[in-house]
Amino acid sequence: MTTRVAVDLSRCRGHGICSLLLAARIDLDDWGFPIVDQLPLDADLLEQRARRAIAACPRKALSLRDD
Amino acid sequence: MTVAAMAGRVSGRASSPADPTFGGVGHPHARLLAGPSEADGAETLDAHLERLGAVPVHRRAGELIEVLRLSGLEGRGGAGFPVADKVAAAIGAGGPCTVVVNASESEPASRKDRTLLRARPHLVLDGAALLAEATESSDVVVQTHRGDSESRAVLRAAIAEREHSGWDPVPVRLSVGPDRFVAGESSAVVAFLEGRPARPRPGPPAAVSGVHGRPTLVQNVETLAHVALIARFGPDWFRSAGGPGSPGSVLVTVAGDVARPGAVLEVWDPTPLGRIVTSCALPGDGTIDGSGPATGAAVLLGGYGGAWAPLADVWALPVDREALRRVGLPLGCGLVGVLSAHACGLRETARLLGYLAAESAGQCGPCALGLPELADRVRALAGSSSSRAAVRRMLQRTDAIVGRGACAHPDGAVHLLESALEVFADDVHRHLRRGSCAGARRPAAFPVPEPGQGWR
Repeated sequence: MTTRVAVDLSRCRGHGICSLLLAARIDLDDWGFPIVDQLPLDADLLEQRARRAIAACPRKALSLRDD
Repeated sequence: MTVAAMAGRVSGRASSPADPTFGGVGHPHARLLAGPSEADGAETLDAHLERLGAVPVHRRAGELIEVLRLSGLEGRGGAGFPVADKVAAAIGAGGPCTVVVNASESEPASRKDRTLLRARPHLVLDGAALLAEATESSDVVVQTHRGDSESRAVLRAAIAEREHSGWDPVPVRLSVGPDRFVAGESSAVVAFLEGRPARPRPGPPAAVSGVHGRPTLVQNVETLAHVALIARFGPDWFRSAGGPGSPGSVLVTVAGDVARPGAVLEVWDPTPLGRIVTSCALPGDGTIDGSGPATGAAVLLGGYGGAWAPLADVWALPVDREALRRVGLPLGCGLVGVLSAHACGLRETARLLGYLAAESAGQCGPCALGLPELADRVRALAGSSSSRAAVRRMLQRTDAIVGRGACAHPDGAVHLLESALEVFADDVHRHLRRGSCAGARRPAAFPVPEPGQGWR
């Protein structure tokens, strides 16, 4: 099972906190909306950071997706 | 004989009765539009039953799905999803289901759904009743745009007739939503029926988890009318029209630089697009030249989020979803928009993009911010204030927009733009060198309504 970050852009308002907390997977476009790298969160450290980014999003736009 | 013509916005026939290619309403090959002229108004329940007989409503669920699967019917709202798969998904999801007749025809130039609904309401409601029965639904909802009071009047009368005769297995009610382009998208319809703003949302398909989490079958008007005929006459009959990859007859709306924009045609065998354009062209208007396409004329296929193509390139192609798909063109909602060689494709695209941008639901940043930016840049290009660098920047921008919406709205707008830059490449160069052209001062070929207000 691989775990990835998913973003719901219909909720996102471009605060950009996720990109600060998970720079290894989340970049921002020119408008400030996240572009999520679909590489799996293969290290525990990364998954931990992803959980922090999810918790920090003021719009609850991020989630973890297992497949 | 290939096409039955039916009047749209303007009364009369789409072609002269002397034209041997067209049968008009009541033509022996017509299916959805068979029967009396639309000028006589909505067909009554009695007339409908007398003409077509009773619909076999007491099929078991599996039976109807099997018949639909054999028919190969694909949804006619635009996406072309196999109907049998959708019904199976709704049944598979378990629990009580809701059937939604999606009568919110949002494409400004498309008329086929309301034309069919206003002339043959019982055909559409028969299809809804069949699906309600097959999915053990507790209710049927007909979703309409607020501005479409004419269809609602027809529906009210039709529903009253059916209630009087006890014809439907479940109650049918009308729902009135906002006049917004994306409000007809199935997840937006679901949101509206839950009492929320009629905006698209991401998540599982409505058939699996729709209104309040219940499986919800959102089906287009034309799709339901086909279901009603397939249940009566069978999958083989259905497949005897259309191409093998996309069986059945199909309704198209012709629009743009034609004699009667908004005319609706039923196409029942792989009819070349050129034949359709010839039948509705205005002589001397820069669309046809002798018996072929005029150089520089174009068509807009599928809708405002569809694609442009040079008329000459598609002249011999059949009006067939699968055949068009093979060359990368959409049939979408069945819009065949004709643009004269005298018009400016860039100006027209700027108008359409401006409309699509204004009709963004404003939820997803890349759509809400990206589409107005694209619209501004195309407007500049259609005028005389663009540059090669600006066009390049615009094209780079599209990568940040495509695939990032909760619905396909931004993708459609980008595809329209990309096809415009390809099809009207000569105009792009000319505009960049010499500024705007005479065609840019022509009035709009396609309707561009004022943006809607509110989402409820």
